[in-house]
Amino acid sequence: MTELKTGVRPATVSVEHLEMVFTARGRRQKALEDINLTIAPGEFFVIVGPSGCGKTTLLRILQGLAHPTGGRALIGDREVTGPGIDRGFVFQQDALYPWRNVTRNVAFGLELQGITKADAAKRTQEMIELVGLTGFETYYPHELSGGMRQRVNLARALAIAPAILLMDEPFAALDALTRESMQRELLRIAAAAGTTIVFITHQIDEAILLGDRVAVFSPRPGRVREIISIDLPRPRPESVKQSPEFQAYVGHISALIG
Amino acid sequence: MEKPNQPAGSLPPVAAEADSSEVAVPRNWRGITRPLTTLVIILIGWEVIGRYVLTNPLFFAPLSEVAEAAVQLWSTGELQKHIWVSFSELMQGTFAAIVFGIAAGVGIGISQRVRDYTEIYITALYATPLVAVTPLLILWLGIGVFSKAAVVFLTAVFPILINTAAGIRSTDPLLIEVARSFCGTRSQIITKVMLPAAVPFMLTGIRLGIGRGIVGVVVGELFGARAGLGYLIFTSGQTFEVPALFVGILALAAMGVGLTFAAQLVERYALRWRRSTEMDGS
Ligand SMILES: Nc1ncnc2c1ncn2[C@@H]1O[C@H](COP(=O)(O)OP(=O)(O)O)[C@@H](O)[C@H]1O
Ligand SMILES: [Mg+2]
Repeated sequence: MTELKTGVRPATVSVEHLEMVFTARGRRQKALEDINLTIAPGEFFVIVGPSGCGKTTLLRILQGLAHPTGGRALIGDREVTGPGIDRGFVFQQDALYPWRNVTRNVAFGLELQGITKADAAKRTQEMIELVGLTGFETYYPHELSGGMRQRVNLARALAIAPAILLMDEPFAALDALTRESMQRELLRIAAAAGTTIVFITHQIDEAILLGDRVAVFSPRPGRVREIISIDLPRPRPESVKQSPEFQAYVGHISALIG
Repeated sequence: MEKPNQPAGSLPPVAAEADSSEVAVPRNWRGITRPLTTLVIILIGWEVIGRYVLTNPLFFAPLSEVAEAAVQLWSTGELQKHIWVSFSELMQGTFAAIVFGIAAGVGIGISQRVRDYTEIYITALYATPLVAVTPLLILWLGIGVFSKAAVVFLTAVFPILINTAAGIRSTDPLLIEVARSFCGTRSQIITKVMLPAAVPFMLTGIRLGIGRGIVGVVVGELFGARAGLGYLIFTSGQTFEVPALFVGILALAAMGVGLTFAAQLVERYALRWRRSTEMDGS
């Protein structure tokens, strides 16, 4: 397995009194209300909440793709004003470039940074190995399964060595077996690199299995209902799901989401 | 498309195996043998009609006489000259149309302001049969290659331009957002996301443009020229040399087929990343 070195020093991700109001069709709609979070360097932070509660919106604000109507988001002590290569984003949908093969999709972020072809090639190949896609370098997205495409998505985000990885329901579209193997790989990669991860899911068991802490959001407008520390020892095998502690977390979070 | 050629009462063959074991001709050969059969039938029909039905030499000519005329025109080098002139007019005009059409299409596709200033006029020009300005172009540019290249340019540029702009504008916003999230600059987003996303549209525009351009060449040469296939057709018509007239038409048809085929090859290569929908033909 390849060691992942992050180019940027890990930093605290924090959000202060964040508010997001959309105006669509003349109607003002509050998507996020007074969100306050502090995510430690290297932490695996999970957000769960019902659909439409503003999870994607929050992640886009952290990435600098959207600007809040109130409050602010910070990386370390710097306010987020736009995208940065300290952050990698794994999109919810299949967001690969259909005209680029696996290698060129993974290399996309490096290419935009103007990294020389030779350096990019080495790094790209490492990432492809890391996500287990060796042998598929020249395949185009339409020739890959959903799980493989999501691996490419992940490899592309990891290639720029982000200190913070923002993941928007990355495994939602995968079948159970593929999801489990992707979860394991993600944990392995994150632990090796010390990457901070903000991970969105609507699956409660996924949240508990992966997270150091889980924030439960309320329905629209999204608010933090509770932040729960998951005190389960790592590594957490599949069998941990049968344990009474795990079940207690599931019961607690289910009740919160209601 | 595999039913009419079974004898009545027999069962359809079981997919591919029965198909290929029963017929010695491999699958991909049929793509050649079948249209060739049609061609042979048409050519024989032509000869028969020319010899026994439309026998007035002022109106029609059997294939054999057309072939004779072709050999004759070829041996003097005249046919090659006409083909070359028409071909270079078409290529020059099309090349200019591709360069300008793509550049302007990108400008219009990415800028709302440019669109506000130009869009309705471009739509109007696209709808106008611009071959109508041919006499004017010949007055301005003379009866040489240049005026015809200009006609080709004018007729071919709008489909290329409009399709390019449409392709740029229909780029999946998610793919643009991905580039933004990797700190892509505006020019990187244009060159690495929007342009490749628009390639299928551009190729469609170019194909349409070439089709219109061939019409432009012929019309231009009918109005005033010293050489070219349109010129050959026009002068042969005026002197009642029907076989030579048909040679001109057939040469134009061949040029059209050849360019369409070349365009398909380019398209297949440029769009090899696409899911292939119709690869086999039986
Ligand atoms: N660009 C936008 N314009 C208007 N409304 C939006 C926009 N993006 C999101 N919303 C609204 O904000 C709310 C939260 O959306 P989203 O963040 O996608 O939720 P989630 O990811 O939790 O399902 C939804 O009601 C959605 O309709
Ligand atoms: Mg979402």
